[in-house]
Amino acid sequence: MSISALLDKYGSLYLQAMLTTWRLTVISFAGAMAIGLIITVIRVCPIKPLRYLGDFYVQIFRNIPGAAMLILLVYALPYLKLNFPYETCVLIATIMIPSAFCSEHLMSGMNTIAPGQIEAARALGFSFFQMIRRIVIPQALRSAVLPLTNLLVATMLTTSLASQVPMRPRDLTGIVSYINTRDVGGVLAFAISAALYCLTALLLGQLGGWIDRKVRILR
Amino acid sequence: MTESNVPVIELRHVDKHFGTLHVLKDISLSVNRGEVVVIIGPSGSGKSTLCRTVNRLETIDSGEILIEGVPIPPEGKKLAAMRRQIGMVFQSFNLFAHMTILENVVAAPRSILKQNKKDARAEALRLLERVGVADQKDKVPAQLSGGQQQRAAIARALAMHPKAMLFDEPTSALDPEMIGEVLSVMTELAGEGMTMLIVTHEMNFARRVADRVIFMDGGAIVEENTPEEFFAHPQSQRAKDFLSSISEH
Ligand SMILES: Nc1ncnc2c1ncn2[C@@H]1O[C@H](COP(=O)(O)OP(=O)(O)OP(=O)(O)O)[C@@H](O)[C@H]1O
Ligand SMILES: [Mg+2]
Repeated sequence: MSISALLDKYGSLYLQAMLTTWRLTVISFAGAMAIGLIITVIRVCPIKPLRYLGDFYVQIFRNIPGAAMLILLVYALPYLKLNFPYETCVLIATIMIPSAFCSEHLMSGMNTIAPGQIEAARALGFSFFQMIRRIVIPQALRSAVLPLTNLLVATMLTTSLASQVPMRPRDLTGIVSYINTRDVGGVLAFAISAALYCLTALLLGQLGGWIDRKVRILR
Repeated sequence: MTESNVPVIELRHVDKHFGTLHVLKDISLSVNRGEVVVIIGPSGSGKSTLCRTVNRLETIDSGEILIEGVPIPPEGKKLAAMRRQIGMVFQSFNLFAHMTILENVVAAPRSILKQNKKDARAEALRLLERVGVADQKDKVPAQLSGGQQQRAAIARALAMHPKAMLFDEPTSALDPEMIGEVLSVMTELAGEGMTMLIVTHEMNFARRVADRVIFMDGGAIVEENTPEEFFAHPQSQRAKDFLSSISEH
């Protein structure tokens, strides 16, 4: 099939698939940021066992392959009487794994903060949480915009895990196997999806660069 | 609540080690309300460490530190509450890099004292006016000169209405032409009756502004006197050596 024939027949499905990938990406990244932030606060909190727990979380989810985690979620959780819908299983994996990387980026963002500023905050009488909220997290976030943009793109690519479960509507990767089982789309069917991934990544990269220029901290 | 004869800052027999290094040796000193005490001494004598123990940025091994007669709490919310009462100005300014000058001054009163935005802003502007950097309020710290940053840092500390101010070599990181502007803000503060504990190498400033000079060497207080007496008639050999070594420059 030619590209135009493919698009004629499956255009609306591609559109739906792209929106699905976008939706999964937004939910995953938002979840990853929220959990990543919490884990990061835990990793620098004054209570040592909690700090270890936070580090442990990051070690686990930074190092587990996405497919392995998805298999665990889909096949192992029912034994614990936890029957999540396929999409939920996918989202748990695409939130937890990026959340570990998010925390790593925030930790290195924190390392850019001069220790004197932390001392100044303590001397002013900020409590731990006030200091985290007003001084530490804002600076860590603003220094980590570019790595977090990369993480956003990586998270989008990770959502292709959705193609490994019978989830509807299909995502950009799932749609390729669907088309290829019904028609001979061949590599072209994949190329369309790849182009849509690339286009999204380019737009996200631009957005990240723009945000970085706006919020970058002068030193 | 407190009688005026209770010192604002009091250290009793404070000892501290860094590993095997005995940095503070049986330090006892007090700073009374409205008093300006200047600490001088050679590099490494423990001046900064002493200054930083007062608001517990450094812990101590033994002894007592009291603020208006109340021992400094070891940690947590109570310690934070005590720190609010003591302003601190650092050698390296330490302004919050992601905030404008105005936000720097407003941050602590807003977050900690829960002042409303309008009052906190008005007060911050008044303080920035007073230290002469109101026109810089919307810039970020990196856009200011060292002298301007340090004056803003003083305003930031004053915004918490501290009972006393600690200064750890506030002019040592400044180009010579900016030292004067910071010292004059400090002189004004002293004139208004602020209780101050100041570590500095600015001897002329100490002579003019201090009520008392404390000379430290090797972690101990070697001499304590009025500036007139101390500079004219140092008692110890170490103070004599120190004074002659700095007058050579
Ligand atoms: N965190 C630390 N760990 C180990 N040793 C330290 C630490 N901070 C300071 N010291 C040591 O303690 C001694 C006293 O240091 P301190 O900074 O109080 O001296 P100072 O009188 O302020 O000197 P300067 O005039 O150079 O600022 C020095 O020998 C210093 O090397
Ligand atoms: Mg020092």
